[in-house]
Amino acid sequence: MELKIRKSGSIYIIDVNGEMDLYNSYKLKELILKMMEKKIQHYIINLEKVDYIDSSGIGALIYICSSIKKNNMKLRIANIHGSVKKVIELTKLMGYFPISNSIEEAISKIEIE
Amino acid sequence: MDKTGDIKKIKVNEKSELFNKTGMFYKEFPSDYRQIRYFTLLVVQMAPPEIKEINLLEQQVSELIKNAVKHGNKNNLDKKVKVWYKFETDYAHLIVEDEGEGFKNLDEWNTFNGKRTQCFLKQDFENMAQYVSFRTENSDDNDGGNALFAAVEYWNAGVVFTNKKNCIAVKKKFPRKRHGIKIA
Repeated sequence: MELKIRKSGSIYIIDVNGEMDLYNSYKLKELILKMMEKKIQHYIINLEKVDYIDSSGIGALIYICSSIKKNNMKLRIANIHGSVKKVIELTKLMGYFPISNSIEEAISKIEIE
Repeated sequence: MDKTGDIKKIKVNEKSELFNKTGMFYKEFPSDYRQIRYFTLLVVQMAPPEIKEINLLEQQVSELIKNAVKHGNKNNLDKKVKVWYKFETDYAHLIVEDEGEGFKNLDEWNTFNGKRTQCFLKQDFENMAQYVSFRTENSDDNDGGNALFAAVEYWNAGVVFTNKKNCIAVKKKFPRKRHGIKIA
């Protein structure tokens, strides 16, 4: 799994490329925890290039989501599709995760909130 | 699995038809955490493409094998995971057995999942935050604590444990694809 960070104004977009599985998911968690330590406030996790997620990946997203919420920071998860969307639906977390259909939508949601 | 309204429970029923291994294929693996996805592929490669749903079937099978390797056998390479499986175009059926002590927290899990589902049905995501991840004293940072929530939804023809709770049987039925010529 490859993680790349880019910026749009004050928002940090993390592009995830690869599989969020039992061997890799901790990397995203660790990266965002480090960014949180640096007091970065606004995050978008872009899952456009993620075609596989398992319970460890979902667990990482839950952990990130609750940590960001506790610290009054802002998060959107963008571009979920295919089996990733299906797994999130099966776990009934579509309404729990702050999901946006695109990066543009995620940016405007963060700016409005 | 019991469906009370929209709240599903995982049951213990050793006599369930889902434990009938007749005609099923069989493989056994060492409890090697690093090879869980490889073992999964060895099983799932037998499935017809139309039920793989890209990689959803693989993901669900991988969770069962991971639970057996990690939570059942505690990654002990000397302990085996046994898998019986059969895939057809209209169903997937698996039995996964480990050599562990069994899923002792099943009642607790059913209660937890009940509360979680109630929050979901009320669309109460504020309170649902308490029930997004099922943790036990043996959970670690890499455990999502959510695999069985998806399993009870995905395996729509049943999820059932043996009395010792170290063996799980699951089945999913897929809608039959109709082939034929449409007559106007």
